[in-house]
Amino acid sequence: MRGWLSTGIRLPLAALAVALAAYPLILGNPYSFRLATLAGIYALLAIGYQLIFGYAGALSLAQGCFFGIGAYVSALLASRLGWSFAWSFPLSLAAPVALAALVALPVLRLESHYLALATLGVAQVALLAAVNWQGLTGGANGIAGIPAIALFGARVPDGWPLMLVVWLFAAAGAFLAWHLMRGLYGRMFHLMRENDIAATALGIDRARLRLAAFLLSALYAGAAGALYAHSEGVISPGVLEFPVMVACLAMAVIGGSARVSGAILGAVLLVHLPEWFRVLDQSYLIAYGAALLAVIIVAPWGLIGAVERLRARLLPELLPEPPAPRMTTLRARAGNAAARLLEVEGLAIAFGGLKALDGVTFSVRPGELVGLIGPNGSGKTTLVNVVSGLYRPSAGRIRFAGQDITETAPYRRARLGLARSFQSTSLVAEMTALDSVALGRAALEGTGLASALASGWRCAHLARARGHAMALLDALGIAAFAERRCGELPHGITRRVEIARALALEPRLLILDEPAAGLSAGEAADLRQHLQRLAQGGLTLLVIEHNMPFLMPLAERMICLDDGRLIAEGKPAEIRGHPRVIEAYLGRAAWAGGPG
Amino acid sequence: MELLQLIIDGVSLGAAYALVALGFVLVLNATGAVNFAAGDLVMAGGFAAVALAEAFPLPGLALLPLVLLLMAALGLVFSLLAYFPLMRRPPTAVFISTIALGVILQNAANAIFGAAPRKAPALLGEHLYHLGGLSIGRQSLAIVAVAAALVLAQHLLFARTQLGRSLRATAQDRETAEALGIPTVRMIALTFMLAAALAGAAGLLLANRYFVEPTRGNELIVSAYMAVVIGGWGSLPGAVLAALLIALFQVIVSAYASYTTATALLYAVLLAVLLLRPKGLFGEAIGRRV
Repeated sequence: MRGWLSTGIRLPLAALAVALAAYPLILGNPYSFRLATLAGIYALLAIGYQLIFGYAGALSLAQGCFFGIGAYVSALLASRLGWSFAWSFPLSLAAPVALAALVALPVLRLESHYLALATLGVAQVALLAAVNWQGLTGGANGIAGIPAIALFGARVPDGWPLMLVVWLFAAAGAFLAWHLMRGLYGRMFHLMRENDIAATALGIDRARLRLAAFLLSALYAGAAGALYAHSEGVISPGVLEFPVMVACLAMAVIGGSARVSGAILGAVLLVHLPEWFRVLDQSYLIAYGAALLAVIIVAPWGLIGAVERLRARLLPELLPEPPAPRMTTLRARAGNAAARLLEVEGLAIAFGGLKALDGVTFSVRPGELVGLIGPNGSGKTTLVNVVSGLYRPSAGRIRFAGQDITETAPYRRARLGLARSFQSTSLVAEMTALDSVALGRAALEGTGLASALASGWRCAHLARARGHAMALLDALGIAAFAERRCGELPHGITRRVEIARALALEPRLLILDEPAAGLSAGEAADLRQHLQRLAQGGLTLLVIEHNMPFLMPLAERMICLDDGRLIAEGKPAEIRGHPRVIEAYLGRAAWAGGPG
Repeated sequence: MELLQLIIDGVSLGAAYALVALGFVLVLNATGAVNFAAGDLVMAGGFAAVALAEAFPLPGLALLPLVLLLMAALGLVFSLLAYFPLMRRPPTAVFISTIALGVILQNAANAIFGAAPRKAPALLGEHLYHLGGLSIGRQSLAIVAVAAALVLAQHLLFARTQLGRSLRATAQDRETAEALGIPTVRMIALTFMLAAALAGAAGLLLANRYFVEPTRGNELIVSAYMAVVIGGWGSLPGAVLAALLIALFQVIVSAYASYTTATALLYAVLLAVLLLRPKGLFGEAIGRRV
């Protein structure tokens, strides 16, 4: 019983079901049924919005517009052309989805705020069209005489039957959203919204995730709009106005982002708010605004988040049994015939007037362990960012496994087997170490919308990925931390979780950006042994490090950058005595760790 | 001749848009956050002018300093509610808090002034100058003059004064500015006050010819936002220039087709710009840090 209540969404769901069932029994008048119906419609709208706003973390301002378009399409088809609900309903879903696809394509690869603008613009145009295109939309008067929902030839009467039907739609929508997001697919969204660069480095295509979430949000909004049109019987351009969008945003934020139950709770609360505060009269939107502001400042996790926090304090979560490790390939992928795995030629990039890289040329052979050193600001991390595709070089070529990848998108480079770690922690604090590593398998598993939809009760992708992850955690000696959340792990362990996650990609080349930074001498020595073992297994490694005692015994070959140029290359012993290397370090700052 | 007339109208509308876009970019650069209520601040400025004109029947130009002061005070309150509590959160949090404040402003205006459009006094009285076949409103000329003066004042403040240097340093690199002893919190609050004052001035300028109503901010934020994107995210001159272009486009296309067509076309242009030149027509001023 305790385990049943302390995890997942069962607790809020059970509470909500009881509340909903009790509701009409206590307040069984027609008006309360109407409000409950409206709450169901808004719940569907907000669940859809949760997908793009909560899960994908992108601020869309078109959800109200998609709702209005669904309502208009349904109203026009039903009242002007006499279509039955069974035919008009699918079209009222398709219309907003088609519009969403049109709007989203130009802005998907851009920063999130461009999506906000693009969606705001489409909402503005839709509203103007509804008001001014009078021949079609009836202008400011809107459309009246929309028939009630008819299912299997029977008209659904107002009152509790309509409420029930609407809530059945909402429940189906809630189940679908929950089902999509409960496996590896949902965790991909989680990583993307917390750290999109880390997601990209694991081969996750964020544009594709955002597109799926955006189209789905439009689908839900269209369904909610159609249900609204049929249950109200009349619509006006008001359905396209900004207050619908604000209400939806407030529901998602107040209920709790990235939670299906949050959207439902938010919808039920906010639909009733004007009722409970009748004194506010027409100014109830002021209360919406104030509540939204208060929640975003005081409790950004929303009501469901607050319940979960309280629950975590009262009923400490029982750590689940970690899964059995799965045989995994710790070795590199099948070797490529190319004599050089990574070839960088004449790479240059400048920020403003500063030349961060200036004609860097080097290569890494398969199976090699290369150390990259250089004083602070010499361009090491910039080089990694260019090679992994986060920055575009102004000149030069990059070849990887015999293929020119200079123009290749960063997530594709990761899928080719180019993995990297980051200097600062790139793990999601609330996610377990096991799931963080499992995410490294997402690209290899081919996890996407279709597979998430088709996944069975056990979430096969997630189970397989967790098995691999367990084996990797075990290999790096941190299996005991598998079910712990990354936010509570000690620094030394998080570094290893990050390496395990990069290894989950089964990379051909692993680039580590200062893996020993912040580690104690003992931890560093331990990490070095693990890296040596990986190298012996055939993995090619490029390690950036300041810590010379760590790197010297590890690297087979070293290269040294200074001022964006490659100044020396050779065996560790040669590099240590190289006059230009000594000058580069001593000319600026202390030789971190001493030259040996 | 008709086109010339339209260009004059477009430039005067664009001058007011430029003030809104300028305020938007100032806040964006100082905080990295999108102020979604920039349009509602314009609306608030318009209503402030309407209310002041009822109390003191003076020409708009005489009311302008009062509007600037009132709006600067509102900007301070705005930053205390919508920005400072969320300083260390992702930019989306501030985006949402400004949406919330915008909703509060809109509905407060609705409760106080009603939903009907209201008119503020002209800057220097209403008069038409006839020049050949052209008739130019004194208000149009005054709008351009006042907006140009404000843009110039902002430019001089930022380029020539010690305060402006501190403001710029805060916007460029907050941590370094802090380390150099610049009171960055005060600078950010000041930026919000400045942005709100500019938006309020735009409200006063627009509320005569184009009236003001509680929901007016929704259209204005779209225009300002577009100007900032087309002008290059974070670029001050780009925003001003793009605001002028957008207003000209709106006025001219509306005259030959309709306002709906103009808005739809403008929006199509915006999507095309984003698709072909994602960094705006004049390049992006804010780079992304990894």
